[in-house]
Formats: sequence, C-alpha cells, structure tokens
Amino acid sequence: MLTFPDVSLTALLPIIISLVTACIATLGGLYTSRQNVAYIGLGGLVLTLISLIALWNNNNTTSFKGALLADNYAVAFSSVIVIGALLSLVASLDSARKAQLNFPEFDALLHFGITGCLIIAFAGDLVVLLIGVEVMSLASYVLATFQTSRRAEEAGMKYFLLGSIGSAILIYGIALTFGATGHFDFVGIATAIAQKDFANNTLLVMGSLLMLAGFSFKVGMAPFHQWTPDVYAGSPTLVTLFMSIVVKTAAFAGFVRVFQVALGSSDAWQVPLQILIGLTVIVGNMAAIRQNELKRMLAYSAIAHSGYLALAMLSSPQSGSNALVFYLLSYTLMNAGAFAVIGAIQKDDRGATLEDLRGLFYRRPMYAVAMGLFLASLAGLPPLGGFIGKYTLFSAAFSNGYVFISVLCIVSSMYALVYYLRPAMMMFMRAEGGEMPLQLEPRPSSGVTIALSAVGVLLLGIVPGVVLGLLEGAGKLLQAML
Amino acid sequence: MIHLFLFLPLIAALIVPLIPDRQIKRWTAALAAALTLGIGLGLSVNGGAALERHTWISQLGMTYSVSLEGVSLLLCLVVAFMSLLAVLYAGWKVERSSAMLVLVLLMETTLLGIFMARDLVLFYVFFEAALIPSLLLLSMYGGPNRLTALTRFAIYTIVGSLFLLAAIIGVKVYGGAPTFALEDILKNPIPKNVQTILFLGFLAAFAVKLPLFPLHGWLAQFHEENHSSGVADVMGTLYKVGGYGLFAWALPLFPDAARDLHIPLMWISAFTAIYAAWIAFSQTSWKRLLAFAGLSHMGMVGLGVLSLNATAATGAMYLLAFQGVYMGALFLGVGMLASRAEINAARPEGYGLGVFQGGVMGSAPILGGLTMTLWLAAIGVPGLAGFVGEFSILFGSYQVAPWISFTAGLATIAAAAYALTAYQKTFWEVSPEDAHSSSEHPDEAHDLGHTSLVSRIVSDLTPLEWTILAPSVGVLVFFGIYSAPALNLIQPAAKALMGFFAGGPQ
Repeated sequence: MLTFPDVSLTALLPIIISLVTACIATLGGLYTSRQNVAYIGLGGLVLTLISLIALWNNNNTTSFKGALLADNYAVAFSSVIVIGALLSLVASLDSARKAQLNFPEFDALLHFGITGCLIIAFAGDLVVLLIGVEVMSLASYVLATFQTSRRAEEAGMKYFLLGSIGSAILIYGIALTFGATGHFDFVGIATAIAQKDFANNTLLVMGSLLMLAGFSFKVGMAPFHQWTPDVYAGSPTLVTLFMSIVVKTAAFAGFVRVFQVALGSSDAWQVPLQILIGLTVIVGNMAAIRQNELKRMLAYSAIAHSGYLALAMLSSPQSGSNALVFYLLSYTLMNAGAFAVIGAIQKDDRGATLEDLRGLFYRRPMYAVAMGLFLASLAGLPPLGGFIGKYTLFSAAFSNGYVFISVLCIVSSMYALVYYLRPAMMMFMRAEGGEMPLQLEPRPSSGVTIALSAVGVLLLGIVPGVVLGLLEGAGKLLQAML
Repeated sequence: MIHLFLFLPLIAALIVPLIPDRQIKRWTAALAAALTLGIGLGLSVNGGAALERHTWISQLGMTYSVSLEGVSLLLCLVVAFMSLLAVLYAGWKVERSSAMLVLVLLMETTLLGIFMARDLVLFYVFFEAALIPSLLLLSMYGGPNRLTALTRFAIYTIVGSLFLLAAIIGVKVYGGAPTFALEDILKNPIPKNVQTILFLGFLAAFAVKLPLFPLHGWLAQFHEENHSSGVADVMGTLYKVGGYGLFAWALPLFPDAARDLHIPLMWISAFTAIYAAWIAFSQTSWKRLLAFAGLSHMGMVGLGVLSLNATAATGAMYLLAFQGVYMGALFLGVGMLASRAEINAARPEGYGLGVFQGGVMGSAPILGGLTMTLWLAAIGVPGLAGFVGEFSILFGSYQVAPWISFTAGLATIAAAAYALTAYQKTFWEVSPEDAHSSSEHPDEAHDLGHTSLVSRIVSDLTPLEWTILAPSVGVLVFFGIYSAPALNLIQPAAKALMGFFAGGPQ
C-alpha cells in the first residue's frame, strides 16, 4: 500500500504560483510580445502575494516532512521579496527597452530567480535551502550578463565565477554540518547540537564557519565582497535593482534561518561573525566615499548595509528577525527607488556620475526630491524608514550584549553619511555654466516605482508601528513554536 | 491646539510649492508663520500647554509626548517670532525664494519640535530632521564655497548625533525604562558607573550644536557661505539648541556625571567665550564676525547651564532665547546692508559683506540706529534683553567658581571691543576708497561733504525692513526693562533642575 507523501499544497502555493508564472513567461514569449508577458508576470506576482497573505498566521504548516516550513517569518521574508520583485518589474516596463533587455526571456529568468528566492525563504532544511540558493544564483548570473555589451558580459562572468566558488564553499559547509549532526533539517540540527553528548564539535565548527563564508559571499560581506562593486556597476541598472533587493533579502532569509534556528545554540560562529561585520562596515563605507560613479557607490553602500543586516544574527531570535525583516523592507524600498531614479536619468547603463546629478532639482524636481529621500533614508536620518530600521537593528544587538560591534556600526554610519550627503546636496546646487544634458524622456512606470518607494519610505519612518506590530505577533508565534 | 502649533508650518510648507503664483505663495507662507506665532501667544496666555502623550511606536517604546511650558514656551515663541521675520524677509526681498520659504517653514516645525518634545527619541528625530532644511538652504542658496561649508557642518553635526543615538540606546538598556518618555526615564535612574560615558555621548552632540571649543569648526564657514540675505543664518542661529539640550535632557538624566565633569566643562565654556571674542575682533567679513559673536554668546550659555546653579541656568536660558532675537535680527540687518552694497565674490577676505563700508550712517541713519541697538543688546548693555541673561550667568557662576566667572566676564568686555569697532568701521568712518579719492581730490570732497559721497549714498529703511527691525528692537527693549514674564517662565524649570543635584553643586 503506497503512503501518500506529505505534500501540503497550501504551504507550497506561493512557490507553485511563482513557478507557473515563470513557465508561462518562458512559453508565452513564443506567442506574444514582451510587454504582455511582463503584465502576466505582474499578475502572477500579485497572486503570489495574495497567497502569502493567506498563509499568514496559518499555524506553521509544513510540507515534505518539514523540508518546507511556512511559518510567519517565511511569509514575512517572502512578502518583502515579492514586493521588491513587483517594484523591479514595474520599473522594467519602460526601462527594459532602453537597456536592450526587451525580450521575454528576461521575464522568464526573473521569475525563475524569484522562485528560487521563495524556496530559500520557505526552506526548512539545508538541501532545500541549497536548491533555492542555486536557482536564484543561476538566474542572477544570466540576468547580469543579459545585455549585449562587453561590460555586462564581464560583470556576469565575474559574478558566475565568484558566485560558484561561494556556492561551493556553502555546499562543503552543509556537508560538514550534516556529517557532524546527522540531520539536514534545521530543527533536527538544533536538537542534535543541544544534546549533552554531542561529540562532533570540531566538525560542526568547521561546517558552520564554511557556511558563514558561503553566505557572506552571497550577501556581499567583506572580505568576500569583491564581486559586488564590479557586478553592480557592470550589469544593466534594471538588473542591479533586482539583485540588490530581492537576491539580498533571500540570501539573508537563508542566512538568518541557518544561524539562528539551526546553529543557534552553538557558539562557534559569533566571534567570526563579529569580525566579518566589523570588516564589512569599515571597508564598505570607506571605499564608498571615494566613488564618483553612483552605481559603484550604491554597491559599496550595499556592502556596508549587509554588515548592518548581519547584526540581526547577534540579537535574540525574536527581536533580531523582526528588526531584520523591517530593515529589509525599508532597504528594498530605498534601493528600488534609488536605482529606479538612476535608471531614469542615466544616458546608458554605465549609470550616472555625481556630476550628472548636479542641479537635478532644477530640471526634474520630483526625481531630485525622491532621490534625496532615498539617500537620506539610506543614511539613517529621521524621520525616514532607514532610521527606524537602523535603530531597531542596533538596539537589538546592543541589548543582547554585543555593545562594541553595535557602537562600531553606529560610528561607521557617521562617515557613511558623507557619501550619501554629497549626491543629495549636489542635486540641489546649481551648476556654474549650465547643467549637463540628460536623456529625460518621460518614464511613467519608473515613476510609479519611485513614487511608491518614496511613499513607503516616508510611511515606514513616520508610522512604522503597523509593520512592527505585525512582526511582533509573528515573533510570539515563533517563540511558542520553539 | 499644541499639535496645530507644531505642525502648521509643516502643512504650510507642503502647500506652498503647489501654489503657482508668487504673490499668493508668500502671503500664504507669511500667514502660516503669523498664525503659528498667534497660536503660540494664545497658548502662552494660559501658561502654555500641558503634556500630551500618545503612543507612537509601542514596540520600540517611542511615544509622541509634547508639552509647551516654561523654558520650552519661551524658546518656541522666539522661534515662531524669528521665523515670521525670516519668512517676511525671504518672501519679499529675496529673489527666487519659493524654495527658501518652504525650507524656513520646515525648519520652523523641526525647531519647535526640538523644544516641545518630551520623549527622548522624538527629541532626537526633530534634532536630526532640522539638519535637512538647514543643509538644503546652504546648498541651494549658498556662496561659492558652500560644498566645503556644508560638508563640515554635516559631518560635525552627524558625528555628534550618532554618539547621541548610541547614548540614547544605552539609556534605555541600562536604565530599564519601559518607554523613552521623559517622565518614564526619570523614574528609572541610570546607574552611576555608566552615567559618565552616556553623558559624554549626549555632550558630543550638544557641544557641536552649542557650539563649544573645539567643536566649533563648522560655524564660521556655515554662516559665511549662507545666502547674503541672512535668512538662512537666522534659522541657523535658532538651531543652536545645544544649551537647551544640556538643560532639559543631559543634566536631568545624568546628574552624577554632570557633577563630576562640570568644572572642566565650565572652563571650556568660558574659554570659548573669550576665544571667540578674540577672533571676532579680527574679522573683516560681517558674517564671520557675527558667527564668532554668536559663538562667544554660546560660550556664556554653556557656562550658565553647566554651573549647576539656578540663577546661572536661568540666565543661560534667557540669554539663549534672546540671542536668537538679536543675533537673528543682526544677520537680517547685515543682509539689508549687503543688499545695498555690491557683494564682490572675489574679495580677499572671502564671500560676504566686508566690514569696511564706511559712512553708512550718514545716508541710512535709522538703519544705523536700530543696528546699534541690536549690537548694544549683544554686548549686554542694561536696559536691553541681553544684560539680564549675561548678568545672571556671571552672578550664578561666580557663586560656583569665581575665577571661571571672571574669565567669562572678560568676554563681555571683548564683546564691546569687536562690536563697536565693526560698527564704527561700517557706519561711521569714511570708507577706504572714499578716503583715498577725497585725499586726491580735496576740492570735490569739500563740496560734497564726507558723509554724502556719491558712491556711498544708500537708501534708508524700506517699510519691509521697518517691520523686521522695529519689532526685534521693541522685544529686546521690552524684555530688557520688564523681564519678569520671561523669567517667570524659566525660573520654575531651573529650580526643578537643581532638584536633581540635591547634593549641591561642587
């Protein structure tokens, strides 16, 4: 008698919808234009979001015997991923043509990448996590190289080579952890470590350090950050937009799951993580100050932000994950908006330099005000979303006892402010001798992305209680479960 | 009502950009500023507005607590009054001023918020948020070296503020208060061993904002590069909230640390006062002169607050409030002078109106007279508002540390030196060019008379300028003679502050 496998379709629903959308996008390109495929993709993402909302507070359904776990944190991370994907897709409606990406394969790969990200968020064990990471990474490698330009090909190649090394290190770490604990699933690993007679400590330590290195590759923490500036600057701006928000959120979702749920009781990785965070925020911020070109500057700022985000792992599980989701949401909005503005004003996908921004307020006031908001939020100025995000992260780590690293991150935010402030102020300064001409055709869809992101950033700064309240409820459920 | 007082300028700042017609724009802005002042005066008749507390972000313990009483009421009224004058001047005198109006109104809300906040994080939010309009005013309407000025200003302010943020997190974690509201924090005192480091965090931010030596490096260029009308400088002067921050937040929260550190800090403040006066004396650019004069006054304010003495603290808050009026009015007065002279950006002493104008008094006597009154207030001449503040500070700090008080008293003498010298050079003396030409052509000079040389005829006050200078002078004279209303607002707060130092100042 065959036993029906534990396939709970409810928990799988968001992933299935996303996968179906990706398949339709692959085939739809043969029958219709890219524009229609993009609209179908948008519809699919909206459906995914609805299914995610339906999964909220749903008693932590699992599927495949715990390999996929649909608890509130998975839903929260996935929602941030889908929101980021929606913003990128909306921006692509008008910027894809300019970036020579106006073919349906772009959407197909985008959706496959999103599916991979969702798998990471819902992962309940290391193998599923790995599947998600690989699907997401492969999609991003190809997306980075999609444009037929030397720069994009170079960026994609670099990303592929370095990312594969990162994945290989991650896989090795997973193998060692399995060898040490005998389990792939997070809960199983946690119970195995917590047992009194746990003998394989060396193996576990090596495994966790290798996994730490692998994940640091994926999110771009120093000293594994070398790919980030080249890839962000070389890829088409639209792809950079997608990578900087969706891929990072998914990678952090996996990162925090592994290290807080599975390896939570092991104390092998706290000190190395602090060292990595310290290096990351110092290197990221110091390098960004020297950048003249906006995409590279935002890449280094993304590196520094990875450092801040990783502080969540040093906090207690509940407050850390809450802070992480909130910061990722505000980070998604800020970055989506900032890259969308760059995409709207750039001449070509080399991006915009600081000089191009000079006097933007006097030519396109709305772009300048929005960009100012995004830069101020990235810098952490109140009353914007970035400030509340930074505050929750820093105080979560501080109150869990990690005083030095939180103060170091606060100090590094200080000189981060310089490189956010410079472009922001340049936009409002008139150029002596006339401003440089920009390609400024009307961009309605990018405008929608920018407007939504700006409103989101303001709301998250002034009334964050809505989101924080939702997350706190999620946290209580998590605690009950553990 | 209190919320309307706080947010009316913000609402107006959001409406003004949408109005296409310039006339309606400036009347709307002026009306909003006037209404804000009116509401403030109305609230002050009832002794201010009591504490209103609402939950803002319950998960993080941040409340929206505001109140308008005592020192806050006085400072908010000064902010509202000077913002009205700034809006009037910007709207009618400055070209392409629509963005300036919006920024002045935005800054007014944030400044009012700084003084009205009774929740530590809300205070921090307004404290930081006021930076943005300030920077935008500098970058949109500044001089040729504004990028350097604003980078310095931003870095100094942000570094201080981030130390303040770290200390705020520390207050919550080490004190154990449930929220950030002032009343809750005071009920959960912070253990003595961490007080010093947290106090230093607060001090970092407030010492930049006061400013105190050696964190004053941003001040001179900030004022110099700001727009020649002086509007941005008025708001910048009002933004010097470090003294208030110490008075209302740092001292009540960290009384033991303050008691340990207050003597060295008093020395630093007294030194700032003298040092700034010394430098002011050698300045050749009006804006820099006023910047250093302001710095000298702030040294006095710092001395007063850090003396941990009720009289000195009262004087400090009084001085803080009224220096907002006379320094702001002086900046606008210099702006009026600048609009009459040609600003030569290539002058050797830097951008901005030079001191060696000469002979303005002859053709613009009323401008000269009113400016003189403002300077006398700055020097601390009895009968004008500055005196009460300075005297109380010196009197109170003498009871704590006589030698420090004496040193700071020298600054008062130095103030007379720099103020009167600059005034004489600009308003009375013959300007260097005119002196030169008169010595080459003695007959023409004799015919024309040295006060009415053709190149130096300037017009006297326009009605707009009357509306700006006369009320300022009026306020200063009134509160110089009858200072009881202001003192009655401050004294209860000062006495309450001393209650935290029950062990007595030493």
